[in-house]
Amino acid sequence: MSRLTSVPSALRVRSLGSAGLVLVAGAVIVILYGQAYTGSVVVLSACYAIVTSGMAVQIGFSQQIAFSQSVFMGAGAYGVAMLNTHLNMSVLVATPIVMAGSAVAALLLGSVVTRVSGLALAVATLMLPLIAVGYVSSTGFLGGAVGAPLTGTLWTTGSTTAVAVGGGLITVAFLAVAMFVASRILTSDIGLELFVLGVDERTAAAMGVRTPRRRLELFVLGCVFAALGGAAYAGTQQFVPETIVNPTSELALLIMLFIGGRRSVLGAVVGALVIQYLQGASTWVSVNILVVEGVLLTLVLLVDPEGLAGIVNTGVAWLRTRLDDRLPGALAGAGAGAPLASLDGASNAHGSASGAGEPDVLVTPTTLATLATPSPAVADASGAAASSTVPLLECRAIGKEYGGLSVLDDVTIALPRLGLFGLCGPNGAGKTTLLNVVGGSVPPARGQVLLDGTDITRTPPHERFYQGISRTFQAVHLIKGRTVLDNVAVACLASHKSSIVTRIGRSRLDDARDKAAQALKDLGMQHMQGREVSSLTLENQRMVELARALAPRPRLLLLDEPASGLSEQQRYRLADLLRAVGEVTCVFLVEHDLDLVAQVSQRIFVLSGGRLVFDGGPSEFRASPVVNSLLVGL
Amino acid sequence: MKFGNLLIAGLVTGSIYAVFAVCVSVWYRVSNILNLAVGDFAMVGALGVDNLYRVKGMPLPAAIATTLVVVAIFAFAYDRVVLRLAQDGPRRMEGIVVTFFFTFALSFFIDGVAKMLFGTDVHAAPALWSGQALTWASLHLERAGLLVLACAIMIGGAFWLYIRYTLGGKALEACGENAIGARIAGIDTRRYRWLIFVATAVIAAIFGIVESPITGYTYLSGATISLTGFLAAAYGGFRKPGRALVAGLFIGILEAMIGGYVSAQYGDTVLYAILAALVLTWPRGLGFESAVSG
Repeated sequence: MSRLTSVPSALRVRSLGSAGLVLVAGAVIVILYGQAYTGSVVVLSACYAIVTSGMAVQIGFSQQIAFSQSVFMGAGAYGVAMLNTHLNMSVLVATPIVMAGSAVAALLLGSVVTRVSGLALAVATLMLPLIAVGYVSSTGFLGGAVGAPLTGTLWTTGSTTAVAVGGGLITVAFLAVAMFVASRILTSDIGLELFVLGVDERTAAAMGVRTPRRRLELFVLGCVFAALGGAAYAGTQQFVPETIVNPTSELALLIMLFIGGRRSVLGAVVGALVIQYLQGASTWVSVNILVVEGVLLTLVLLVDPEGLAGIVNTGVAWLRTRLDDRLPGALAGAGAGAPLASLDGASNAHGSASGAGEPDVLVTPTTLATLATPSPAVADASGAAASSTVPLLECRAIGKEYGGLSVLDDVTIALPRLGLFGLCGPNGAGKTTLLNVVGGSVPPARGQVLLDGTDITRTPPHERFYQGISRTFQAVHLIKGRTVLDNVAVACLASHKSSIVTRIGRSRLDDARDKAAQALKDLGMQHMQGREVSSLTLENQRMVELARALAPRPRLLLLDEPASGLSEQQRYRLADLLRAVGEVTCVFLVEHDLDLVAQVSQRIFVLSGGRLVFDGGPSEFRASPVVNSLLVGL
Repeated sequence: MKFGNLLIAGLVTGSIYAVFAVCVSVWYRVSNILNLAVGDFAMVGALGVDNLYRVKGMPLPAAIATTLVVVAIFAFAYDRVVLRLAQDGPRRMEGIVVTFFFTFALSFFIDGVAKMLFGTDVHAAPALWSGQALTWASLHLERAGLLVLACAIMIGGAFWLYIRYTLGGKALEACGENAIGARIAGIDTRRYRWLIFVATAVIAAIFGIVESPITGYTYLSGATISLTGFLAAAYGGFRKPGRALVAGLFIGILEAMIGGYVSAQYGDTVLYAILAALVLTWPRGLGFESAVSG
């Protein structure tokens, strides 16, 4: 009866539990099998797992592919080895020094390479191991092809067994801390930012995420984790081989991450353990490890792109479904499963009357009144100018070309604080480009954009979001794999100006979710808040986008064809909603449906070939010969 | 004539990069998957011919033919089994998992099998055109190098003519631009995916056979070759075989010049630093889809 939607592993990060589990299990194995083979495999895997848990945050979860891990793992290992052999420093003291040094180096390097993203970031950072390989192999100081031996170990007192067990315990503790930090970040409000960044960078920027800064923080985090892993490696193996830094080691780390499950910290740790264990499992396997890794990676990815963690989660979800089927009465108390129950279950539980997937959007100006109160930040910004006659948005003589084709030519528009304003025009007239110029994702070639009299022409999209500009996209840009609530919460985050480090202590995701829940309630959409967004109808997806745009209580709302793909009846409902929104904020609406625009707008602009050809009220709009010849074909 | 000889050496290495870059970018155009195993097919070509000819005593033409047929069948089977499950099934996979990791696993698999079959020593296919290096004034060119250049020109030219002037080439371009649109227009994108995959695998194997007398291969050489192909393809914007060809030649010549004039020991370091700087300062111009932000 009630079918659970499949849940992404990201939502199931049992963060603190998994770090504790690894700590206890690792410690028990190390104490029992300290010097035996099992113990040494666990300790070696723990060294790699420290690196891969950082990669899970940077590469798996946030999808910022950077090939810098083996270089910084080498930096950590060689750093500790050099401090130990040349300065006679103990490994335990050298480790934090090397980590701090790596953090500084990563910050400097990262501020250069993270200016680019996507494939450019991958290719630029691919040069790092290639450069480092040449340096390591030809530098006598580091031992060249021979490698660098250490005299010290992580734990130095006692018998050889005590040294092995002590070093192993410290490494496992390092790993537990690394997992704790990684999981705390992923489950926090910044984790939600990172998820959006990984799925769709443009939406992230439009929702206020400072993408360049987050990329830099992720890069530094990945590098510091790698350096810690390298230091633990040097401290437990007492030897740094030359091969620790090279593209092949980089690929080996990626294999561990993807076999384990790229978005799961525990998965990344399990992946490291599986690969290390396989290498010593039997002679045949260790000789033919490449074949085994190749086949294993292919099989795991074919079964589930989210790796072993994904397979386990699917299994757990399936089991839970079976249990729920057997015990239908237990549904209400299904705990973690309940927020993700499908619409039938959720609407039954709420007793709401939404049938056959039809939305139950009951918006009235009174329920929307709460949205009229501007958020504190926006109130501060607008306070001074609020009483003046300065228009809210002013576009002055905007011009833009795409490769010689003029898209916007001398467009001047001014909008007041309240009301609904339509923007029409044939395909290719420049409507969406104008919206992007106001939203900040496209810089104009000429002209100025002013918000409340302040020039924001060069302000990046995320800054404009803080200043009260919010938008929807022509094609739905929701974050797949997350619930409706989280999708709206993305726009309610208060974390944009905070550093990733602050989220190790305290997450404010619940605050954002509370605000999002309130925004959904104002729109009468609370019954769908637990659903995964790609299971919604197109109308509901558009409504969620609208809710997301309204939730931060914007001063200026940019809507790009909200009615496209909707039925006539759905358009009526949308029109009612838009009118209500127009009473509390300024809405700039791009739309092809002329009737809808004429119904709801108090003033309409028409663009053609990048020029403003009409500007007037709805009655003039209906009567205008220009409009009729351009848009109606009369 | 140092410059002339460096230029020749650069052109030969550059044409190797260029051919693999063309193979990577043509298939990426069709499938949106980066073939990180392309170099491994080259390695199998070289070591396979060497094994059949030298160890098993097969006549050279038969050894070459057998190797190429095996490579083609393997590539076809891989597409039918793995890529079909990943791409044509009910839940089509997308994103970095598909773009990078399936062919990456394939590369590991091929290397492992090659280690089993051919061992770990350096080998090469027998030189197809043996004899003294060709000299003209003070310029030297190995005969194998000339063969490599000739092969590169033929392969690059053939792809260019195919894409530019044939209907099949246009269809191939369409597959990469918009797979669904291409399918609606009656283009069988899956057929193009396996055709080009098998074709580039065989081309890579041929190239490995021709080139291996110059450098010599081990079972691990494939990864390095794929890397250079990947890099040159990246600087050609991944989807543009023509630009990938030019980028490959440019990287080869740059490498030779830096090695000859700047530093032989740190030549690679300087080269990679220059390449990294290029990506960072000019990502849009180089055709990386995502542009600089912030």
